[in-house]
Amino acid sequence: MNRFCRSFLLLPLLLSACNDSGPQKPKIGVAFETLQTEFWVAGFDAIKAECAKAGYEAVEAVADGDANRQLEQVQNFITRKVDGIILVPKDANTCLPMIKAANDAGIPISLFNRPSAQTDAKSVAVVADNFALTKETVLYMIGEAKKTGQKHHAMVIMGDLGDMNAIGRRDGFDAAVKEAGEGVIEVVSRVPSEWNQEKAQAGVTNALQANPAISFIFTSSDFLLPSIVSALKAAGKYHKSGGPGHVILGGFDGDATAWQMLQDGYLDATGVQDVYFEARKCVEAVHEMKAGKTLPALIQDPGFVIHRDNMKEKAAQMWGAQIKK
Amino acid sequence: MTEHAAKSSVRTLRVPENYRGLVACAILFGVMAILTRDVAAAGNLRSIGSSVVPLFLLALGQMTVMISGGIDLSVTGTMALVSVAGAVVMRETGSAFAGVTAMLTAGAGVGMLNGGAVAWLRLPPFMVTLTSQMFLSGMAVWAVQSKNIGGLPAGFMGLGKEVPIAAGAAVVCGIVGHLLLRRSVWGRQLFAAGFNAETARFSGLPVPWVRIRSYVASGLLAAVAAVILTARLETGSPVLGQRMLLDVIGAAVLGGVSLRGGRGHVLWVLGGALFFAILDNALNLLGLSHFRIMMVKGGVILAAAALDAWRIKAR
Repeated sequence: MNRFCRSFLLLPLLLSACNDSGPQKPKIGVAFETLQTEFWVAGFDAIKAECAKAGYEAVEAVADGDANRQLEQVQNFITRKVDGIILVPKDANTCLPMIKAANDAGIPISLFNRPSAQTDAKSVAVVADNFALTKETVLYMIGEAKKTGQKHHAMVIMGDLGDMNAIGRRDGFDAAVKEAGEGVIEVVSRVPSEWNQEKAQAGVTNALQANPAISFIFTSSDFLLPSIVSALKAAGKYHKSGGPGHVILGGFDGDATAWQMLQDGYLDATGVQDVYFEARKCVEAVHEMKAGKTLPALIQDPGFVIHRDNMKEKAAQMWGAQIKK
Repeated sequence: MTEHAAKSSVRTLRVPENYRGLVACAILFGVMAILTRDVAAAGNLRSIGSSVVPLFLLALGQMTVMISGGIDLSVTGTMALVSVAGAVVMRETGSAFAGVTAMLTAGAGVGMLNGGAVAWLRLPPFMVTLTSQMFLSGMAVWAVQSKNIGGLPAGFMGLGKEVPIAAGAAVVCGIVGHLLLRRSVWGRQLFAAGFNAETARFSGLPVPWVRIRSYVASGLLAAVAAVILTARLETGSPVLGQRMLLDVIGAAVLGGVSLRGGRGHVLWVLGGALFFAILDNALNLLGLSHFRIMMVKGGVILAAAALDAWRIKAR
């Protein structure tokens, strides 16, 4: 065997010697479904910052929308004997075996922003009240609609209905319209986006073609706003608030695009999830469960609605406004 | 060293072709076990075992089609449709048996339609299976309005949880596949049709039927993989396995199955699937991001395809 082959075979030994064998920090496995939107990136960064503050090393994994991959990543965390797991599930059902696996291994697990389906398995979910926050946002939008003295044809862009958050927002929209929209709002289009910008754009474009009178749009997530703006511009309907032809527009999440559109006068309101609160509570939950405390299965992020009338005082709490800075 | 001794030492190093993939897996595992000890942990071996089973089943079906000179790009769409179909049946009947039967029937049915379009309508396999992938994926989402279906019977969920059950299914499929390919008339006809379809036709072989059966096998194996994944995730999902297609084709090509048809072996596919599963698992444990892992796997598939092209030229 020549010198080259011997060197090649020694390489793994050399590499393994480079492994850090110093004192190890406790680890939290952070498994995200995706990093495709600003919200998830902000959440990921906030969790890593909270882990560092609490003295944990964050071990990262992104499943890129694949539930089976996410299950494998959680199993890898368990193999690596992490001290806790923070999970953003792909959906409410596929996370159940992951929670059960963590329970079986005695590793505390918290869910960031998305709850699981009903289960006996133990976890703590930190979520916004999607129903209440959406209802409050849409009620504000309906208030703006009433000021115009006209009837409005409405479109709602829904998320992936496998995601409990999307269902909560859809139901919140319907509840607001039912409560206060009589005679003012007629829902003429429901666009299923499946949290996909291309699908949202195609759906909104088609809806505007079929219903050119649409003048009230709610999107279940601000990350779809660029798709909506593109479709509105193509239809010649993208106008500032207060001007003729303005389409009353509202969203959910509170990202940087929403902040800019609020400032520019194109967006009327958005429901903001407090990313920093949710990240802090997830890390705290894992830490407290590890210490043996019993916690409630659900911790609610109160969130708030931001609109043109309260923009100045709420800007500091809006994570999308912080990103722009 | 004399020339005779040199040749002897080369012969002792030469590994039989059927086992090269498995030897490569052993080498990869050994190297990774040195880089991260977690790879060899009992829990991690179970993880690798559970992740390789659906990939092996899908790659086995892909191999069958590729031997015949075709390709099946619809396997993930088939899995998604089969998953929701089975979940709906189980929710309505409460019976795991009824659900599994519905899933296998649906998978075979999809294979029959794909095979019919390729064999009788003489449409290119790439086009047929790509369009059926779009159709099946869309149909799965439409059928359940994007919703996942949970609350499956406990007996069904056990199929995915217990690694020995899933592994047993894979072993049975592998043995049956091997016997059909190597010991049956259909197997010989499949290789002949893949190696040179015109010659096979002129020799009187029923090439269309041979091809249709290969697509039925692929659909059926996709359904078995869907049973295991649906049980493991405890959910009928309209997007089940949607990102697995490249891994499936990669595992088959990496194992040595030729993209031009006429070459394939069950052990090659096992080697390819295991190599992918170990690589994916180990890179995860080493802390590489998903995106870097994709880059590594893409490079490995490209290298395997280049090797296949070189091997065909060298014939």
